[in-house]
Amino acid sequence: MSTFQNFNRRRFLQLSALANAGLITWFYGPRVSFAQSNLPAPPPAGPIDLQAAGGMEGLIAAARAEGELSTTALPDDWANYGGMKKTFFSRYNFLKHNDLTPEASSAEEIEQIKANAGNKGPQNPDVIDVGFVWGAAAKAENLLQPYKVATWDTIPDEIKDPDGFWYGNYYGTMAFEVNADAVPFVPQDWNDLLDPRLKGLIAINDPVAGSQNTHSVWAASLADGGSLDQPEKGIEFFKKLAQSGNLVPTGTSPSALVSGELPITLRWDYNALATRDNNANLANIQVIYPKSGTLAGVYLCAINAYAPRPHAARLWMEFVYSDEGQLLWLEGYAKPVRFDDMLKRGVIPQELLAQLPAADVRVEFPSLEQLNTGLQYIRDNWAKEVGITYAS
Amino acid sequence: MTTTVTAAQQALKPSPPKRSELWKGVPWDWLGLVPFFGFVAVFLVFPALSIVTRSFSDGSGNFTLSNLHSLTNPVITLAYRNTLWVSVITALSGSLLGGLLAWAVTLGGLPRWIRSSVLSFSGVAANFAGVPLVFAFVALLGRIGLLNQLLRPTGLQVDPQRFLYGFWGLCIVYTYFQIPLMVLIMAPALDGLKKEWREAAENLGASQWQFWRYIGLPVLMPALLGSAALLFANAFSTYVTATALLGAIGQTFAVTIVVANQFRTDTFGDPGLGYALAFSMMVVIAITVALYTYSRRQAERWLQK
Repeated sequence: MSTFQNFNRRRFLQLSALANAGLITWFYGPRVSFAQSNLPAPPPAGPIDLQAAGGMEGLIAAARAEGELSTTALPDDWANYGGMKKTFFSRYNFLKHNDLTPEASSAEEIEQIKANAGNKGPQNPDVIDVGFVWGAAAKAENLLQPYKVATWDTIPDEIKDPDGFWYGNYYGTMAFEVNADAVPFVPQDWNDLLDPRLKGLIAINDPVAGSQNTHSVWAASLADGGSLDQPEKGIEFFKKLAQSGNLVPTGTSPSALVSGELPITLRWDYNALATRDNNANLANIQVIYPKSGTLAGVYLCAINAYAPRPHAARLWMEFVYSDEGQLLWLEGYAKPVRFDDMLKRGVIPQELLAQLPAADVRVEFPSLEQLNTGLQYIRDNWAKEVGITYAS
Repeated sequence: MTTTVTAAQQALKPSPPKRSELWKGVPWDWLGLVPFFGFVAVFLVFPALSIVTRSFSDGSGNFTLSNLHSLTNPVITLAYRNTLWVSVITALSGSLLGGLLAWAVTLGGLPRWIRSSVLSFSGVAANFAGVPLVFAFVALLGRIGLLNQLLRPTGLQVDPQRFLYGFWGLCIVYTYFQIPLMVLIMAPALDGLKKEWREAAENLGASQWQFWRYIGLPVLMPALLGSAALLFANAFSTYVTATALLGAIGQTFAVTIVVANQFRTDTFGDPGLGYALAFSMMVVIAITVALYTYSRRQAERWLQK
């Protein structure tokens, strides 16, 4: 007979408790004590510009030797990134494309860099595309390496890091997205939204949950000659909008807008224009820039400090900032940062220019400082000011 | 039946033992529990402990009470107040309507097929929640919903601001899954009410009212309380339904949304506060579950007799 004979319920519970305790210690012990583990030192930064990289031919040869490129958070249906990826990887077909987590958010991209520091595998993203506020933060944490593309000088100064660690790539303008079939009149400016005839017709998504939504509140700060230094004016405006009963306390979606259930919302113009095109036979969607002013929201590109394939990363950067790459974004209605330069040189095809909405409105580019304080103010005060108004 | 083996007996045993005999004493039936305990450890014990420890630690792992202190923020207390009210209101309305429905199909003398179809429907409806449920209600009560289309000729209109996109909308939508849940829980309890009790009461001259007042309800009361507690917990922990209906301002209506906001990435959230909130919800749910278990035990004690 064996010793298992004495194995009874009590014994089993004791053993499993012991096993659990062991597992818990193993699981939590290191986490708690090494919560602030430091990242390994990044490898030396690669060449600072195309010349240092050996010109276009040198860069291509070096990228060919690396053989692959990992990108992250590039959805096919966002700003024509699908077209961008397809063109680049068919041109440089010696590069294998690792298309990591297309739906990742900016914060998740930063986490990917940290989690893969020192990792040479395909799961380590070489380049990132993040919201504008993330560039300076990532640079401060030594997560990026500098590179200045050949077209560097034509990128506006206010949307690039002077040392080349990150630079804006495209932007959208905050606009009213209106289902004209389902509203008594199409609002043309911020104060029109307060009209009693629009009762129950306006909805936005939770400003705490995404930068497009936060910007939609902030943009309202520009009504009546306000400025982006006054995010409280935006909150004040939406409080009035809620009290008037025009703002519906639910979130919205393209389908709710097209159906007419919630016919007015605020979105980046490139998303609104895409909804318009995709539903052209269902509803008359109009994209309106508020007369008294709106703002632009910029995204940026950067190279991972730990990029295992730094030359392929540089080749990607050269492509997206070339005239050709910039035009691909324009096809998706996202305005490339070099738009003004290309317009001046007349390299934008007429049919692309013709499809852009006329924009003779005041559009402001928030500075990094304004962004940090403005968005933080909205996040801190939205629920307190506007949310409570609803609940009472 | 002997379970002890003396040294003498052991010495007499032929050796070596056959392989099959060696494994004879292994408690296979207990080993069968190992996956369960593993599951509980990984999906319940670890996460729960993680929440508790992280509620009391700052970003770098040091002990702190500031996360718990953040719970006194007015937005969070408002969210708590609203969540508790929605949970109480829908637990009560669900208990009342579901309880009456359960009574009708068990003791109401309705045809058998009604009972079985109500119970099958309840099984489905109790699990119909989240985005599809909200979509269904918007299609029914929305601004351009079915009801308003039907009402159009009359000139009357349902105001979705009042009855859908707000506190009462949340109550109405939650009640949809609370009623069938109550039916599912109460039907067996009502089945347990013995016919003999009613016959005995009637023979002794009790009226219908007296039977319920002194026998029926007292017997059912623990089950009713327990079910109401379960309904409360059900509403208290709902997340997707609230998010789908009140996306823009949900954070002042559902604590679950406030928790999620602390971890959703683009928000500059506060994970420490998120853990503290989750911990506080665990406390509320633990109290509710304790109440439920206690009531349930009482109910079983009654109904066994």
